[in-house]
Amino acid sequence: MIKKVVFGISIIINLVLAYFLVGSIKEAKENLEFEYVEQDTIRPDSLRMYLERENYGTAAVLSHPIRGGAEIDDLDMDYYLLGEYADTLFLKEIFVRSGNADTAAACEKRLAEIREKMPDYSELLDKIEQSAKKTVRE
Amino acid sequence: MKCRSCGGEVSLQDKTCPYCGRVLTETAGHQAEPEQYKKKSEKSKRGLGKALAENIPIVISSVVMLLLIIGLIVANYISENAYHFREDAMRKESVKKYDEYSVLIKNYLAAGDYTGFASFMSYHNIAEYEEPYADLKLLWDITEEYVDLACDVEEALLHGPEARIYSPENYVFNCRMSINDFYSEFKWNQDKIDADPYKDYMYDMKKKANIILETYLGLDDEAREAYLSDSQNKQSAYLEEVILHD
Repeated sequence: MIKKVVFGISIIINLVLAYFLVGSIKEAKENLEFEYVEQDTIRPDSLRMYLERENYGTAAVLSHPIRGGAEIDDLDMDYYLLGEYADTLFLKEIFVRSGNADTAAACEKRLAEIREKMPDYSELLDKIEQSAKKTVRE
Repeated sequence: MKCRSCGGEVSLQDKTCPYCGRVLTETAGHQAEPEQYKKKSEKSKRGLGKALAENIPIVISSVVMLLLIIGLIVANYISENAYHFREDAMRKESVKKYDEYSVLIKNYLAAGDYTGFASFMSYHNIAEYEEPYADLKLLWDITEEYVDLACDVEEALLHGPEARIYSPENYVFNCRMSINDFYSEFKWNQDKIDADPYKDYMYDMKKKANIILETYLGLDDEAREAYLSDSQNKQSAYLEEVILHD
């Protein structure tokens, strides 16, 4: 009788342990696959927020992974491209003035590509461009 | 059992010891009633088998429980250290792809795109402090300071006409710190930079930092030297004027 009770309790404990183990394995797998730039809740959310607040410089800095070769989720691509547009405008001015003509030309090309990819955002891109122009002190 | 006389091993069936020849009185009972002993033996065997059969499920359940506990510990350990495992994996990958990555790094550097270079290094988790990338160590140190300077100025100045900025004083503070850090780092490492194979890129970085200060903060060569030798308060006052009131 006692043995049956002990066996029953051990089965219940095993079931609980198995439940937690499945949860832990799932969590471990998610943690191993976690990547900031692929998450739709962290960096893209910040990017969206800063773009909405018109903090284009911060959005530009947050978009840097795209320039380092990061693969961006299609759903978040627009925010990254908007950030990259602001960043490229800022950097282009430095390349022009430091004599990196080829790099400046590559920036121009990239800006045109982004504009072509995002016809729906032309108004925002214009706004970013105007803002970038205002930052330059002659 | 053993013979009482010589200690030799004897069977219950033996009437005399096969070693010393003594007549074995201790096996007499068994020999007189072999059937009864056989039954006792069978009964003991059955009892043992039954006891084992009754305990096998508990034993198996205990083993499963032990395995589950070990599994939980391992899964939690992996989960807690997943970030380090990923970092290590990426670092090993960057070592494996050294030839490919070297070409890309050279392309970034040749283009003068140091923020791109920094993004590439960070994204691929390249360890500049160990082989085969150890030659990039000083370049990376200076690049980090340069990128901070460029990013802080960019964040402080590039915003729309109706931007909501909640703590503008942070922009001033960050810009002041990163400008001072870059020029100080460059100055402190001047000798090492001059002896470094990547010195041209580092000088180009300084040139670009000067351009950033001139283009975006209105500090030409003369004004920059004056700014850098000013007190922290004067530096902050100047940056406040440029960043917050323009």
